[in-house]
Parts: sequence; C-alpha cells; structure tokens
Amino acid sequence: METQEKEFKSIEVFNVTSDIYSQAITGELIGMSNFATLAETIDDPHEKMEAVEHADSERRHAEGFMAYAKKLGLNVNINLKGSYWNRIREQFLNYAAKKDFIACIIIQEVMLEAFAISMYTDAGNALGGASKKLFLSIAEEEKEHMDHSVELLQEELHKDPDTFIKKFEGIHFNCMTILSEFSARTDLKGHCGVCNGDCMKNALHHVNLNVDSLRGNALALYAKALDTIGIPGEKSIVWIAKLPA
Amino acid sequence: MRTSELEELPISKIKAIYDYIPPRGIFKMHVKSLTGIETNGLYIDTFIAPDKLNAQNLRANIQKVKDAVKVVHHLNIKMAILGGFTSLLLEGNFNDFEDYDMVLTTGNSLTSAYVVKGLEKAAREHGISMSESNVLVIGATGDIGMACTNYLKGKVNRLLLCARNMNRLKTFGQRLLDEGHEVKYSSDLSELAPEADLIISVASSSEIAISSLKPKVIICDAGYPKNLEEKVEKVPGVFLFHGGMGQLKHGYSFNPDYTSQFYRYPAPHLGHGCIIEIILMAFEGIKENFSMGKGNITSEKIDLMYELSLKHGIELAPFYNSDGILEASKNNSTT
Ligand SMILES: NC(=O)c1ccc[n+]([C@@H]2O[C@H](COP(=O)([O-])OP(=O)(O)OC[C@H]3O[C@@H](n4cnc5c(N)ncnc54)[C@H](OP(=O)(O)O)[C@@H]3O)[C@@H](O)[C@H]2O)c1
Ligand SMILES: [Fe+2]
Repeated sequence: METQEKEFKSIEVFNVTSDIYSQAITGELIGMSNFATLAETIDDPHEKMEAVEHADSERRHAEGFMAYAKKLGLNVNINLKGSYWNRIREQFLNYAAKKDFIACIIIQEVMLEAFAISMYTDAGNALGGASKKLFLSIAEEEKEHMDHSVELLQEELHKDPDTFIKKFEGIHFNCMTILSEFSARTDLKGHCGVCNGDCMKNALHHVNLNVDSLRGNALALYAKALDTIGIPGEKSIVWIAKLPA
Repeated sequence: MRTSELEELPISKIKAIYDYIPPRGIFKMHVKSLTGIETNGLYIDTFIAPDKLNAQNLRANIQKVKDAVKVVHHLNIKMAILGGFTSLLLEGNFNDFEDYDMVLTTGNSLTSAYVVKGLEKAAREHGISMSESNVLVIGATGDIGMACTNYLKGKVNRLLLCARNMNRLKTFGQRLLDEGHEVKYSSDLSELAPEADLIISVASSSEIAISSLKPKVIICDAGYPKNLEEKVEKVPGVFLFHGGMGQLKHGYSFNPDYTSQFYRYPAPHLGHGCIIEIILMAFEGIKENFSMGKGNITSEKIDLMYELSLKHGIELAPFYNSDGILEASKNNSTT
C-alpha cells in the first residue's frame, strides 16, 4: 500500500479519497440491499424482476468502486452498520415491512439517489482522472433510475395529490432528517462509522470540496426532483428548511 | 400530524445552502379590488443571496431568474412581474420567454407612479411648490430614474441628475437640455445636493451618502438596499420617506402567512409598486407585456397605472421610514 500512497499528493488526499470511496461503496451496498428487500415485498412477477435487476445494478456499482479502490490501494472501510447508513436502512425496512412500495421508491430512488447523483458528480469532478470517469458514469446511471421513478411518482401524485403529499412529507422527515444530519457541517449524531479516523468533512478541502456545496447541491437536486414530481415548491422549501443542519 | 403550513419558514436554517435552492414558490397571495374582483398570485423566490449579487455571479444569477420564469411557466401561470433585482439582471429584456405564452412586466411603471405621486403629495403637504423646486434624481439613468425624470420634466424648476456612468448620464441630460428643460447633471452628488429641494433616490447602491442639504428637503427613497437614512446628513427638517409603495385598502392575505417574516411594514397591507402593477394587470385582464426594457416608461403609462390603482382601491402608502409612520401621515395610516 505504501507504494500506492505515493501516487497521492499527500496522506490527507489519500485518506479523504479512501473515505469518499468507502461512503460510495457502503451507499451502493445499502441500495443493493434495499432493492433486494423490495423484491421480496413485491407480488407482481415483472416488478419483482425489475427490483432484482436494480439490486444487481447497485451491486455492479459497488463492485466498480471496489475494484478501482483496490487498484488505487485505498484504505476502504465498508460498514453497513455505520450509524447513519444503518438508520436509513431501518427506515427503508420499516416501509418495506408494510409493503409500501411507493415509500420504498421515494427513499431509495429520490432521496438516496439525489444525494448519490449529486455527490458522485461533485466528488468525481474534484478527484479528477479515472475516478472522475467512474463517478460520473455511475452518477449517469443513477440518474436514469431517478428519472424513471420520478415519472412513476408523478402518476401517483396525480391520483390523489393531498394524500400523496402528506405521505411524502412523513417520509421526508423520517429519512431526510438522517441524510441531513449526515451531511451537516459536523456529524450531528456522532461518527458515521465509515470514515477512517476523523470525519472526512474536516478534510474535504484537500480535494477542493467543501461540505456546504456538497450538501447544497444534493439538496438542490432533491428539491428539483420534488418539483418535477409535482410537490408544490412552497411546501418542499419548508420541509427542507426544517431539516437539522 | 405536522402543521408545517402554519409554522414559520426557518429561512435562517438554510443560510449555508440558500443560494443552492432552485427558484420556487414560497407563498400564495389573495387580493381584493374595490370593484369586488379578486385574484390570486404566487410569490416565487429566485434564491439569489444578497451577497451573491455581484459581477462574478452574473451568469449564474441570470440563469436563476430564467429558471424562476420557467417555474411560472410550468405552473401554467399566465402573468408575472420580475420584481426587485430580477428585472435589473435581465435589463428588462424578456426575449427569452417569448415561447411561454405569458405576460410579463418589470412593474416599474407603477413604482415610478408611486414615487412621483408620493413626492408631489409630500411637497403639497409641506407647502412646497413643485414648479419652483429643483428635483434631484439619484439613479437618473435607470429605468425608474428615467421614468420619473421624464414625468417631472416641465413640471419643476430644475432637474438635477446623478448617476456614475457619465456617458449615459450625458446622453440623457443632453436630450433633456435639447428639449429645452433646465437640467444639471453630474456623477458627483455633492455638486447637486446643495441645490435640491426634492430628492428621488432610485439607485441600487449602498454607497450613496447625501450631505450639504438645504434646510427643508423632502427625500423619497425607493432604492434598495434601504440604508439611505443612515447616510443622509442629519439635518432637522429633512423629510425622508420610503417610496414606491402602495396600500391595498381592501387588503391581501398570504398563505402560508409569512407577513411577519417577509413583509413587515409599519402600516397594514402595504405593497411594492411593482407587485401591485401585476395585480392591476390581472384585475384588468391586460394581455400584453406592460413595462419592459429600459427607458420605455412614458408619463402616459405612469398615469394609466396610477388611475387603475385608484380604481381598484389601492392608494399611495402613508409616509413612513425605518422609524415608522411619519407625522404628516399619522391620521390616515390605518385602514
Ligand atoms: N419601491 C419599489 O416598489 C421598487 C420597485 C422596483 C425597483 N425598486 C428599486 O429601485 C431602484 C432602481 O431600479 P431600476 O430598475 O431603475 O434600476 P436601474 O435601471 O439599474 O438603475 C439604477 C440607476 O442607479 C444608478 N446608480 C447606481 N449606483 C449609483 C451610485 N452609487 N450613485 C449614483 N447613481 C447610481 C445607475 O447608473 P450608474 O450605473 O451609471 O451609476 C442607474 O442610473 C433599485 O434599487 C430597485 O431595487 C423599487
Ligand atoms: Fe448505485
């Protein structure tokens, strides 16, 4: 590993790059698990197959990140039980247990994907080189997932706007609160259990990133997705403003 | 159950990410006319943070304004006013929105109307004759400044015009001189201020400081940011009010009601001239862009908008500044 570390400008860059990959891989594995769970809850055979296919695509993303991390000799730490990721997973499992397919889609395909797409884009652009290509191409695939689900949710909203928006609001506060605590300037609920050593947020500047723009871009993409689904902007702004920060 | 609708919007909590937020509606408005007509509107915020309003962010800011208009279009709303700095960013140019089947305005005709009518009223109440007064316009080459100047020419003793860019100022000043008006223009405010009886400040600048004033001067401050009061030489007898505002006698309501956060004024139901302009356009079913571009606002447009305003029960706001309602207005400030 020592030889690999030399490819990085500094030990700080090596560490923060390792942490970015650790988060990405852990996130993909959470996504994979979520879709696998979803497949369990679905009765319709076609939708079941689609969920498995999605799970497999998240698995491939995780593998892609893992392979490249290995090549770079990064110090990767995968931890699905890390506090934030685990709480998000638990929220997902809650809705899955109730066979609430729409809620599961909202959590995985809107909330988690908005953060993934935005942060992969920012991280890819900041890391540059082959990492950039990898992050951006995965972000592109995640975007397709998201667009597809947004269409489905538009139809759902159309059927009964009031009920749908109420439901979305509940899910927002259950899940986005966790993502918001996770992406706040300081880990609001303690160490994430994924980063090596200290929280990587303190070291993002070594790769020309900062937590405000990562978080701002992610929430902006989330807000845009909500706009496209058809949730009134005056509602979503209040939801977002009330997230812990 | 959450009752987010009734709670305040904690804008302070999103400070760090404020300018990342895509433009969106914030609250709905409902307005009534004296004639009994009612209409609804939506306040859309561009989420451009005040400290990002600089040349460095010009392109991003223009994009945000365009995105905000796109929001209007997506919501199938058929008319919009680009208020405050949004029309400034586009310089009143609406060409990009031609495909939207939407009526637009900068709202500057009615803002100008409230400015000049307010000045006339204040002069009247203070026993000052307009025709004998020298009127200083700070920001004279801007859209509102030009509109006010063109409206006042021929009605006052002398026009004193101020702006920084000397070329534009000279072109405008010379045109007025050629028309036979008494005009003095300068980019140095201190050359003009000592002669002024009445002052209109419509520059978007926080740097304007006025001193060496005559003893009884009336100042209408319609520019933003609102900090002229701190920068005016403290002379007793100076009457400074915030202009460009109207009062909707039949009221308005916001949903959610953010009036305590966004729209706090010392008298009930005050509104910006620009916003009221679109309300009047809605009341009247005006189907064409009204105020657009720069320097196109005629005295006819000003008078038309002001007449419509009165027709619908929207009057000049009582005189006030950051200290509250001013003495001369105290008896007619409540509705
Ligand atoms: N009360 C209301 O309802 C209302 C409604 C709309 C707008 N407004 C406000 O009215 C103001 C004018 O709007 P507008 O559309 O006319 O803007 P505009 O077209 O940009 O005009 C601004 C004018 O101010 C001049 N200026 C800027 N900084 C100056 C300085 N430091 N000293 C002297 N002149 C200066 C500009 O010329 P140079 O650049 O050459 O100096 C220009 O003549 C803005 O602040 C706007 O926010 C109020
Ligand atoms: Fe993925």
